Amino acid sequence: MKKIILLVALAFVANVTNAQTVKDITTKYFEAIGGQNWEKVKSMQMFANVDNGGMKIPVEVVMMSDGRMYTRFEVQGMKFTQGAFDGETSWSTNFMTQKAEKSESDDTENTKRSAKEFPNALLTSEKLGYKTNLEGIEKIDGVECYKIKVEKKTMLSEGKEVPNIEYYYIDKETFVPIMTETEIQSGEMKGKIAQTKYSDYQEVNGVFIAFSQTSGIKDGMSQAITFDKVLINSTIDEAGFKFPK
Amino acid sequence: MKRQLFACLALLLLQNANAQTTGTVINASEYFGDLKARHIGPALMSGRISDIENHPKNSNIVYIGAAGGGVWKSNDGGVKFTSIFDDYCQSIGAVSIDPSDPDNTIWVGTGEVWTRNSVSMGDGIYKSTDGGKSWNKMGLEKSDRIASIQIDPKNPNTVYVGVLGALWGDSQERGVYKTTDGGKTWNKILYVNEKTGCSELVMDPTNSSVLYASFWEFRRTAFSFNSGGMNSALYKSTDGGKTWNKIHNGFPTGQFGRIAVTIAPSNPSVVYAVIESEKPENKGIYRSEDGGATWKFLNGDFGLTVRPFYFSKIVVDPKNPDVVAKAGLFGSISRDGGKTFKNLGAMHPDIHDISFDPNNSDKVFVATDGGLYRSLNGGTTLEIIENLPVSQFYHVSTDNQEPYNVYGGLQDNNSWFGPSSSPGGIEARDWNLVGQGDGFRVFPHPTQPHIVYSEMQGADAIWRYDTKEQQLKVVKPFPVQGDPKLRFNWNAALTTSPHNPDRLLVGSQFLHLSNDRGNTWTKISPDLTTNDKTKTGASESGGLSVDNSGAENHCTIFTIAESPLNEKVIWVGTDDGNIQVTTDGGKTWSNVTANVKGLPLNTWCYHVEASVFGEGNAYAVFDGHTKNDYNAYIYKTTDYGKTWNSIVTKDLPVFVRNIQEDYKNPNLLFAGTELGLYVTLDGGLSWSKFKNNVPSVAIHYLELHPKTNDLIMGTHGRGIIILDDITPIRSLSNEIMTKNLHFFESKAFTMSEKSSFGGTSSENQFVGDNPTSNAQIRYFLSKRHTFGKMTMEIFDANGSLVTTLQSGKQKGINTVEWSFNMQAPKIAKGKTFAGGAMFAPRVKAGKYKVKITKGADVFEKEIEVQYDPKSPFTLEERTAQQKTTVELYNFNQELAYFVYELDQWDASVKGFLNENSAPNKAAQALSKELDNLRDKMVITKGDNYVGAGEPRLREKLGDIYSTIGSYYGAPSSTQLENIAMLRNTFNEGKAQFEKMKTSTIKAFEKELVKKSKTSPKILSFEEFLKLEN
Repeated sequence: MKKIILLVALAFVANVTNAQTVKDITTKYFEAIGGQNWEKVKSMQMFANVDNGGMKIPVEVVMMSDGRMYTRFEVQGMKFTQGAFDGETSWSTNFMTQKAEKSESDDTENTKRSAKEFPNALLTSEKLGYKTNLEGIEKIDGVECYKIKVEKKTMLSEGKEVPNIEYYYIDKETFVPIMTETEIQSGEMKGKIAQTKYSDYQEVNGVFIAFSQTSGIKDGMSQAITFDKVLINSTIDEAGFKFPK
Repeated sequence: MKRQLFACLALLLLQNANAQTTGTVINASEYFGDLKARHIGPALMSGRISDIENHPKNSNIVYIGAAGGGVWKSNDGGVKFTSIFDDYCQSIGAVSIDPSDPDNTIWVGTGEVWTRNSVSMGDGIYKSTDGGKSWNKMGLEKSDRIASIQIDPKNPNTVYVGVLGALWGDSQERGVYKTTDGGKTWNKILYVNEKTGCSELVMDPTNSSVLYASFWEFRRTAFSFNSGGMNSALYKSTDGGKTWNKIHNGFPTGQFGRIAVTIAPSNPSVVYAVIESEKPENKGIYRSEDGGATWKFLNGDFGLTVRPFYFSKIVVDPKNPDVVAKAGLFGSISRDGGKTFKNLGAMHPDIHDISFDPNNSDKVFVATDGGLYRSLNGGTTLEIIENLPVSQFYHVSTDNQEPYNVYGGLQDNNSWFGPSSSPGGIEARDWNLVGQGDGFRVFPHPTQPHIVYSEMQGADAIWRYDTKEQQLKVVKPFPVQGDPKLRFNWNAALTTSPHNPDRLLVGSQFLHLSNDRGNTWTKISPDLTTNDKTKTGASESGGLSVDNSGAENHCTIFTIAESPLNEKVIWVGTDDGNIQVTTDGGKTWSNVTANVKGLPLNTWCYHVEASVFGEGNAYAVFDGHTKNDYNAYIYKTTDYGKTWNSIVTKDLPVFVRNIQEDYKNPNLLFAGTELGLYVTLDGGLSWSKFKNNVPSVAIHYLELHPKTNDLIMGTHGRGIIILDDITPIRSLSNEIMTKNLHFFESKAFTMSEKSSFGGTSSENQFVGDNPTSNAQIRYFLSKRHTFGKMTMEIFDANGSLVTTLQSGKQKGINTVEWSFNMQAPKIAKGKTFAGGAMFAPRVKAGKYKVKITKGADVFEKEIEVQYDPKSPFTLEERTAQQKTTVELYNFNQELAYFVYELDQWDASVKGFLNENSAPNKAAQALSKELDNLRDKMVITKGDNYVGAGEPRLREKLGDIYSTIGSYYGAPSSTQLENIAMLRNTFNEGKAQFEKMKTSTIKAFEKELVKKSKTSPKILSFEEFLKLEN
């Protein structure tokens, strides 16, 4: 009899596991990385030293909860900004002229469309009306993960509207993302799968942030960046977002 | 009945006995970590393409299915293709796009239907609903090969599938299948018998209830092929497959072989069929203008009737019902409704599919044995797509050069060798042609690798090719007086010897030995095959169309293995299931086949691996797929074949063609299966699939390089794949797997000192990956690192930090690469890049400490790096280079500090001038002097391209610094003089600054005091070096 009860109990546990919904997983994920503390986060300022063939380049990455952002670094006295967005204009510094240049209109529009995805598309999917689906369970880096598909607003690729889908792989045990994945929709790499892996989660002001992020092409090369310091709600140079006149 | 029960019991006991083989199970499947294979192609001769599918609306999207190389997608009209089906069976029968959701829903039917002898098999039908990013298997697992998938344009849940079915045996899983629930369930709606499958299925694009299905009675065995029978027929349904009628009105009577059929999309009443029939005069193309009700014979030219089993594909221009193209040896096209044909333009022969762009009929893709071609003028001239590395190797071997070369022969694409590494990557131009025809086994002479042996099908030729002198000689064994006809396999056994470099061994039904590089031959065996006369009639093979290509030659020796420990011990395996061994160099032979318990009779002995661990040790791989038996058979003997133990477990899901033994760890074995690479670490108690960049491709041969420990895979569909340096797998154990973190041992890392200007391939050519030239620091994590900090640092022997590296975090094996560089010097700030100054010097040879800090735990490991022993430099020269490099490194930092000092004063004086509107002579004079001095030290204006200013000291210093730092010989006197000159410039600048301190700076400081300001804060040199910027 005991054995039967145990079997029934195990079956129940299995069912519970199977019955996980995207909402359950997302809620647990949100709690695992700090829950309500994220509501107080208005900005994230992250500092790293990126190694470029032995040359260490100090990098500052800023992300605002309203979607504004920039990445800045200095090499041999020259200052560069990449991936800046001030809410209207997306721009970067040209390495040759060292002058700011606007991104092509598709890029700017795509950045605008994703501006409200803070801290990311999965956690804001309900608010933004993104369709989500639990695709199954996959092992990433040896970790069993829930694979969740997030169907965002379409994006522009070479002037055409194309699907904008991101996959989240959430650790079944700890409920933090191990990896995200998207299909590259434009340029030479169109059709390839871009992946970012997350590790070194650490707490800053009550929220957990992946201090190490490795981005690359599936089955191809990748580059890791590890942040030495992350500041929440620090004083940000507001002018840094603006496209220089 | 009792006997059957007993047999079952005996089999069970046998399996249990195998399972109880002594040893501990080591399951490594989760622990291969980031060990990743690399693909080196080649793509210059590409490989067989079986199917092409165009997006109906977007001409940029094209899918192709390869015979053994999976599914590839192009997003740019065929300029570049990306593999999208790596995890699944790579033999592709059909790819179809759902016309109602063409951007997302794609179906793939596995199992090629161009049923040549070397064809692989399929394992069902797959569906993607996201444009090929992910796939779900939708059943039909036993379908073996799928000819066609037709999706109802009005209802995507209704799909019809033409299943050709098993090639090598009877099967009831054939015919036309239909689903009405998107593939969840299937109904077989048209079935003929267990020998006859659906070889083509087409749907009227304007009326999805109208279907045409051709059925083909066919069978291949290892020794014969039959196309044709009374059950081959063409059927039509007008009610969505509920009822079917034969539509032969106008066809000849009697047996049919394979029938190609297609509908003209612009006028569905026009239907074409190409039939293989009994009488040659009736073979050819037929046209119907009434939806198949009546047929009219139009043309029986060679291009239409040649090899129906291989070329039964016909397509019609989507906009013109009279433009019709037929696959064939060269491909044919008619522009008069099928009355006359001409060949398509020049390209690789053996055409399997042709597609017209639905929106532009001039744009044509053609699938051939040699890759995919694209035409922009309706097939008149064509260009090959150069980024599809789907070549089909039968075999692979290597030499001992550095870098080593890889040798092998390809299905219909000659014999080749190419480097395992090449400047800029392994390009098409790196491959060298060393044989013609279908290529198979290619071997370098063991000690003189410029001598290469190769062969073509059926040993029609075995060549010895001196690649240096370009001398070519046919060296195959010819029959002599008293010999019967020699029987050579299509893929004839050929090997060199580990003992005698001039020895060659070749298998017909006899084993032939030459000790003079093939000039003279001796038979050293009797007929080692079963010599079953019922299996040696290959010349009559083919059925309704005789197909005497040599592909069905049987009762031949297929594998030869000379023991690496004793040249007298030679193993021979035959295609008809014998395994024989001699221990006296061929004087006597023992047929040990009967000792292989549990092996079905006459199962092809595909490979024998003579072990390095004992003269009597060997592994034998048997492959039953040509008898429709897809089970794995691998046996091990340690007593010259007297007894054999199976080392197969349920982990091996499909038949195996090859096994490779490790040279150090007797329990480490690699199996080349029809669905990818498998590894055992416990001598065969368990097997794990190795996936990391190894697709589920048929692996025909494996080679483990004795010097580099690289595992080289000769795949039949994805070219050559190399898993570099398997030593971490070799040392994996249950003990290591329980450790939090374990560093793997490594031999000294060699710092490569070779340079190149890279490759010359164009952007759209495939270039194979090179192995890394960096140090690979490898460690094992029993669990992925996700929370908390994890860092890696390298320290020199004095404990000084050399550099920091990004650590790997995944469960299992992690690899961190170090390029042997320390950190670059701190460089003076300027207005443009000083490229040379970014150079980070290489460390000296010696011992270094790797330190991983993982949370509170610290793990350390000593590694050693060495200079390239093949480099021409002496230690004295290196020492001189290192000394000068260090001097220049420091010089860069001194200059950086000096410019920093100038910048600090400059900022102060400019701030002063900004704050004070009244002119100030002292400040203005200092500002001018600082500008002038700084302008001598660094570029202060311009951009990073052609607007750059004239190089100053920083740029010149960076130039000489990187010039000397990146060459490992002693600096030249001219270079040293250049440094002295730059040092003078620097000294003059510093002297000028010292002078300023007592003149203009002093005067400015007085002005600062007047305004109650302080002099700028200048950090010490040491403090300055710690600044991030």
